Amino acid sequence: MDRTRQPVLRRMRRQWQLQSMVIPGIFWMLIFCYLPMFWLIIGFMDYSIAKPMLQSPFVGLKHFEAFASDDRFWRSIRNTLGMSAIKLGLGFVIPILFALLLNEIRSLRFKRSVQTISYLPHFIAWTIFGGIALNWLGEGGVVNQVMIGLGLQEREILYNSDPVYFWWIVFFTDVLKETGWSAIIYIAAIAGIDPALYEAAELDGAGRWQRMWHITVQSIRPTIAILFILAVSGMLGSNFEQIFMLQNNMNLRMAESLDLYIYNMGLVSGRHSFSTAVLFARSIVALGLLLLANYTSRRLTGDSIF
Amino acid sequence: MKRKPFKASAALLPALCLLLSLGLAACTGNGENDPPPTSQEGGNHTQPDNAAGESAGNETAAPNPDEPAWTLDTSPVELSWFVGASWYAHSWGDSLVSQYVTDKTGVSVKLEVPSGEANEQVTLMMTSGQLPDLISIGSWETAVKKLWEGDHVYALNELAEQYDPYFFKVAGDGTLKWYRQEDGNSYGMPNDSYSPNLMHETGMTAANQTFLVRKDLYEEMGRPDLTTPEGFLGALQTLKDEYPEYKGQPISPFFAQGNVPYGMTEYLQNLLAIPYEQGGQVYDRITDPDYIAWLKTFRTAYERGLINVDFLVDSDTQVEEKTNNARYFMMIREWTGMTAVNPMLAASANPESYYIAVDGPRNSSGDPAKLFPGNMDGWMVTMISKSTEHPERAIRFLSYLASEEGQRDLFLGQEGQTWETVDGKPQLNPELVELLGSNIEQLEKEYGVLDTYWMLRNPVIVNQWRPEKAPVIKQMEDFANAQADIDSGIYKGLDPLGDAEAAIAWSRISQNWEEVLPELITAKDEAAFDKVFDSFLARRDEYGFELVTAHRQAELDARKAKMAE
Repeated sequence: MDRTRQPVLRRMRRQWQLQSMVIPGIFWMLIFCYLPMFWLIIGFMDYSIAKPMLQSPFVGLKHFEAFASDDRFWRSIRNTLGMSAIKLGLGFVIPILFALLLNEIRSLRFKRSVQTISYLPHFIAWTIFGGIALNWLGEGGVVNQVMIGLGLQEREILYNSDPVYFWWIVFFTDVLKETGWSAIIYIAAIAGIDPALYEAAELDGAGRWQRMWHITVQSIRPTIAILFILAVSGMLGSNFEQIFMLQNNMNLRMAESLDLYIYNMGLVSGRHSFSTAVLFARSIVALGLLLLANYTSRRLTGDSIF
Repeated sequence: MKRKPFKASAALLPALCLLLSLGLAACTGNGENDPPPTSQEGGNHTQPDNAAGESAGNETAAPNPDEPAWTLDTSPVELSWFVGASWYAHSWGDSLVSQYVTDKTGVSVKLEVPSGEANEQVTLMMTSGQLPDLISIGSWETAVKKLWEGDHVYALNELAEQYDPYFFKVAGDGTLKWYRQEDGNSYGMPNDSYSPNLMHETGMTAANQTFLVRKDLYEEMGRPDLTTPEGFLGALQTLKDEYPEYKGQPISPFFAQGNVPYGMTEYLQNLLAIPYEQGGQVYDRITDPDYIAWLKTFRTAYERGLINVDFLVDSDTQVEEKTNNARYFMMIREWTGMTAVNPMLAASANPESYYIAVDGPRNSSGDPAKLFPGNMDGWMVTMISKSTEHPERAIRFLSYLASEEGQRDLFLGQEGQTWETVDGKPQLNPELVELLGSNIEQLEKEYGVLDTYWMLRNPVIVNQWRPEKAPVIKQMEDFANAQADIDSGIYKGLDPLGDAEAAIAWSRISQNWEEVLPELITAKDEAAFDKVFDSFLARRDEYGFELVTAHRQAELDARKAKMAE
């Protein structure tokens, strides 16, 4: 207890072995996260990679005005928000349910195996997983075979050629690949719950559902709240690798997310200043979303990041 | 409601771990989008200047314009060479040819290829300021201009004056002049560059656009006429009714290479012989009635279930798989991409299942196709980067490779080992010619002759030594040659590239077209088709199409003036 009263510096000196472990991380953050922020400046310039940077002329908000008047930009906002809404509305609870159900399994060995198997797909890169998914969705793929076999459709559908399916393809492939991995954090939180609580509840006559709801869910509520805040602040982001793998000319209308738009403008079309401006604007909005979600969560549940 | 601090933090710990990892991931994303500063001030010590007497101190002999200068220094040196084609899989040092050239000149080459798009890779290399010694990249890529304008590469004429004047003898005034910039310098050297005169003389046009069909199906159907919309749809109907499957898998009736921007646009327009200019004015080919009529034919075919949209969505591997199994019936596809597959199919269990070139869609007056020939721009341009520590060796190596001697060494190898002089003409050994027909991969890997190292291939020189092609390839090549429009090379690549306003307008328009064309083909009826097309035209104007037209016109006028010189 008295440890907390020690001056911070002395405490850190006593823990110097532990504290020094964080140093590489700090340098990493400085070099890769903070220093590059300076180059956001090219969003206000007519930057050309052929010339030394500081020789490029300043053009003020020209690029910001340009993207604000681009219909394709607004389309990418719509797509990003649409895909994020599905992910947030439906996708957010799936790992929680999975963790809760897993927690109810009695056989420890079975539980461990399920957990391991379910998070393995996370370690497959999207370039590979996306390729597999395209084969599943293509002609003669497993999806078509199952749907025809069940009598749900008459002839083969090229799922990735019709834009209406795209958001759902993104959602389902994401659930398939990431549920197990996202559940780990909830499983860890559940493992931290004091078993005495369950024993007491059982004595009081609480059934399985009641224990699950009143003890497990309530105990992991702060974790859920924080992950929700993070998810909201990430609404303007998308899984670039996933969408890049699954998109094509035919579904681009619904597939081009903000990230893909930035990529298409910046690296494909070579409009570096323009795409930097979009990125800058996106970061500001994401910061706003983060603060908003954080504030709301603090007011409603008392849990927040800061 | 108050929480006990301990409990909250226990639950927060894993969350914070995740927060950190998310933060890191987000940062990585940002890093990619912020190009670091470029620094090109570094390489000045190797900057050639025309002050006499300063040329590299390790040689005593002054360069002689009549003698190749590579003989002056054959000490071992390694040059890295970026080849802007992700599919290029050859290496240097394993094949006989590469060993021979390295022994002779001392230069060993470290070949590098892009992992994805060559243009993006070069752009990234430029931002880092670290470029390979030699760079070969498609002459149409925007990176070429950026390399030149950004002072990333040497002017070849300046290097040649200083280290190897013999270069002027072999590079030929024509090619150097074609790539001469406003500052009077030439920065790149093309391969496969064809002048109209040469094509008229030899009949070798380097045209590679063909309309291909699978021979056995086509002949069983009684060689249907595919040049009119009615015949085209009829053949597809027959295919659907009588040959829906091949080897237990559904047939893919149609394929177009490079789908929307190439196969279904420029290439199809060439098949329809749609002109590039009318009365000196560049022509808006996309609005040509014949082209639209054919797009509507494709729409009808889709509506009737005669074609699928697989050709618009398939990945390269899916296309390759279908090609290798002869699952396509018709293809808008360059014959050069079929040189490995066709002999393989002809040697398979169904030897008639290879592809032949036939007359494809034609315009309403039935004109034969007008295909792109080779042109002066060539295929790839090769440059010497200012990052190189050996500019003198690089220019001498280029000069050697461009000379007749170098072309022969790369194309045929060493005399007595891979070729012999028969009747005063070099002739490849018979076992190599046989390999060419049966296992071209082994030929290129072990011997490295013919088209293995094509970076500076000069068709004028090497075609005289080229062995006769296999009949299944020659049929396609002859067909393309016969339909080449030799004087249309001047129209290739008129579109604006780079950072200019016209270029941005064009990239927005062409990217939009890539989305619109699939919509046209899948439109539910003609009225829907017209509506989508009209809204495309409106959007095109809004994006600044008149800038693009003006650029095309100016570029065309400039080229005509250059040709007239």
